Amino acid sequence: MGFSVKKEIFEKYTALTIGGSLDSSTAPQFGEEVKQVVTQNPQALVLYVEELSFMSSAGLRMLIFAKQKLGTTASLILVRPQEQLLETLRMTGLIFSVNIVDQYPE
Amino acid sequence: MKAESKFQIFDAVPDSLEPIRDFIAAFATANNIERKKIFKLSLAVDEIATNIMNYGYPLAGIDDGTIQVSIGYQDKQLKVVLEDHAMPFNPIEKGMPTPEDLMKPVEDRPIGGLGIFLARQSVDLFDYEYREGKNRNIFVVAID
Repeated sequence: MGFSVKKEIFEKYTALTIGGSLDSSTAPQFGEEVKQVVTQNPQALVLYVEELSFMSSAGLRMLIFAKQKLGTTASLILVRPQEQLLETLRMTGLIFSVNIVDQYPE
Repeated sequence: MKAESKFQIFDAVPDSLEPIRDFIAAFATANNIERKKIFKLSLAVDEIATNIMNYGYPLAGIDDGTIQVSIGYQDKQLKVVLEDHAMPFNPIEKGMPTPEDLMKPVEDRPIGGLGIFLARQSVDLFDYEYREGKNRNIFVVAID
């Protein structure tokens, strides 16, 4: 299954479409993209995660990193996370730090 | 297809994480375990296996370590055991994030510490023992 990430830069936000498994072997690849994105200070980082079937704490750490670097004024938006990812976000309390939506832009 | 127990030995490298999860999912699916339970068990195993790969073996100075993954289904319990010969490490003794930690805004959080927490929260029973020079991490999921 592996992992895939695709980046698109828009005027008001940057989008990463990620799919597959985000574990300790693939998180560094995701981390590199996130690092690049946050240095450009987007108003929002939008993650299209519908095709993401697995995320471990290695991936969660990247979400925390992204949110910390984005600061309080920019938002971290997750589009259509699978139920398992939602459950992991709930267990760790990270659900309160991200915006979950069914589509973006609305 | 239905097997009562099975084991496989994997190289202790991050590239083995997906094959380890697939090994567990294949066994559990063959035993008609529901998807949500399979996912949570895979997450728990992934977290502990990651620790063994990233810390246990490197700290022991071993660069060709392995992890044996055993899985069995008996008496309405699905049980996975990870065995490694890395540095002794008991995840149960490691501090867990408190409820207050988990309610903290993300800006104030330390970036580590979530893996073992997730592992222990995701199964019905997590246990650890060190026996005959091996770490044994044990995960049990109750099946209704």
